[in-house]
Amino acid sequence: RAMELPPSHFPAGRAAAVALGYLRYLRGGPGRGLQLRQLRRARRQDIEDAGHKYSLELELEDVLDKDRTVTCTAEVLYPLGSKSSAPEVQVTVQGELRSTQEADQDFYNRIRSLEKELVAENIPDSHGNVPPHLEPIHLLAWAASGYVIWQNSTENTEFHLAQVKHVKQVKRSDEDLQFDYVVLLHEMVSQEVIPWEVTVLWHPRRGARVSRDRRQPGH
Amino acid sequence: SNMKLIFIFSALIGASLCLETFVGHQVLRIKTKNEEEVKQLQLLESLEHLGLDFWINPSAPALPVDVRIPAASVQSVKAFLESQGIAYSILIEDLQDVLDKEKQDMAESAQRQRSSSSFDFGTYHTLDDINEELDHLASEYSFVEKIQIGESYEQRPLYALKFSTGGRNRPAIWLDAGIHSREWVTQASALWIANKIASDYGTDDSITSLLDKMDLFLLPVANPDGFVYTHTSNRMWRKTRSKIPGSVCVGVDPNRNWDAGFGGPGASNSPCSESYHGPSANSEVEVKSVVDFIKSHGNFKAFLTLHSYSQLLMYPYGYKCTRPDDYAELESLGRAAASSIRSLYGTTFQVGTICNTIYQASGGSIDWAYDNGIKYSFAFELRDTGRYGFLLPASQIIPAAQETWLGLKRIMEHVRDKSY
Repeated sequence: RAMELPPSHFPAGRAAAVALGYLRYLRGGPGRGLQLRQLRRARRQDIEDAGHKYSLELELEDVLDKDRTVTCTAEVLYPLGSKSSAPEVQVTVQGELRSTQEADQDFYNRIRSLEKELVAENIPDSHGNVPPHLEPIHLLAWAASGYVIWQNSTENTEFHLAQVKHVKQVKRSDEDLQFDYVVLLHEMVSQEVIPWEVTVLWHPRRGARVSRDRRQPGH
Repeated sequence: SNMKLIFIFSALIGASLCLETFVGHQVLRIKTKNEEEVKQLQLLESLEHLGLDFWINPSAPALPVDVRIPAASVQSVKAFLESQGIAYSILIEDLQDVLDKEKQDMAESAQRQRSSSSFDFGTYHTLDDINEELDHLASEYSFVEKIQIGESYEQRPLYALKFSTGGRNRPAIWLDAGIHSREWVTQASALWIANKIASDYGTDDSITSLLDKMDLFLLPVANPDGFVYTHTSNRMWRKTRSKIPGSVCVGVDPNRNWDAGFGGPGASNSPCSESYHGPSANSEVEVKSVVDFIKSHGNFKAFLTLHSYSQLLMYPYGYKCTRPDDYAELESLGRAAASSIRSLYGTTFQVGTICNTIYQASGGSIDWAYDNGIKYSFAFELRDTGRYGFLLPASQIIPAAQETWLGLKRIMEHVRDKSY
């Protein structure tokens, strides 16, 4: 039996944030930032010996293409027990997202042609500014932190990317771009801001992959 | 005379230029005496290669015709008018001169604005700048007074603005911002709102009737020590800066420190935690000062507080997950306020109790206010929903303030109407 949840109540919102994190990781990148326009519907089902399953209907938008939205259905299963394992997420996107092929290729070429490896910090800065040339770096961090958020979420947490504290490009001999990020994740329930090291590989056709991540020691 | 027209202007056919400046352009005012002259001008109008730009088109003899003429056509148009005996005067000798002067005037005016006490509400400011602007508002408006309601832990004054058009201890509305120092859009919005209220009194019916009946107290920086710390050391600082006996960690969450379910669920007893409730209720001087002020005033009808982020409009309770007695009215008023917010830029705020909407959290300010007889207690979480979070771009300050103000105003109007 599935229980209908008010979309304005936090349990539905937290599950939606997990689904968004997962989707951002899968479909986001330097040319696309997906966020929630509206949570249309949420239901919860307690599955014996498995966990709590949330079924969601979401309306999403690309921050770079706000005139258009896509509908998405998602299922988020938070596993039972104290053993910390990531929620299982399934997402289906109905409709087309704006193509990022050109933007991705431009970004790829630009970074590959840099003489010195890219280094930057505090994105956005204290005043919320992101220099235009660093916007793709910010969006890529947003996509990569989606992975961390998905992997570390429970029904009692809600994570958001607060800031890119530091980013350093690492040149590679293969075709991937590599960025070593230190991001700050804001956890809404405890209100903690947690530094997290995330290494991302990215390629225009292969997308983003987090190859290494860890909560910064001492935090 | 049509032949004459064609003869004079044929030389100019094909000479249509696409000019980027208005150097040498003249604006003439032509006074036609009869229908025949109007027809001549309409013929002139049809000759596209002249590049004529009619600011007032030829229509009837009684009405003047204003036309901008590119430099290359000026001589021939004048020659034509004179040959036809059509009267004209020169409105503008050289349009570019006028535009250059206007541009200069505007730059000078902007310069004056910056160097005078005019405040840029669309950018983030330091504590000193904010305090200066409070002084400015108080000096510019007779019904605005800067008062000090206490001192922070590090002995910074807690300055509030009192909006009062008269009476003695009128029913009052409380509004604070920045109790969590990293929520910069709130202090910035509070300042915009202060200026909005002050400057609209006397012209806006709603604000005028509100301040004619009630007083408003606005505390734009409820946690000045934390605020300074976000500027000097750690942009993500949330709490006060008080030293905790027996701990290396600093600061108490000022919105877990109120005497409402103090120490209950949703607050931490660990000094190093961001939601540390403190050693006891009202241990933080920033909280105690507000509590003492409101209690001794004794006539507050509404308690409104600004936070960010998440786009939520909440009423009690947070410390317990049961509905307040006034649930129906507060829910209804909350929805109306959210609707007002949405009307401006489409920004959606979720409405509900703190416990349902965000989390169970004890020791919060609006719970204390409600349990102390202030029925209309609401907490706002402003923009955005997480893309920028605490680091909201300055370009969004004014839109955020504008929409939030509509929500606050809706609530204040209800309070005003219910208080009489």
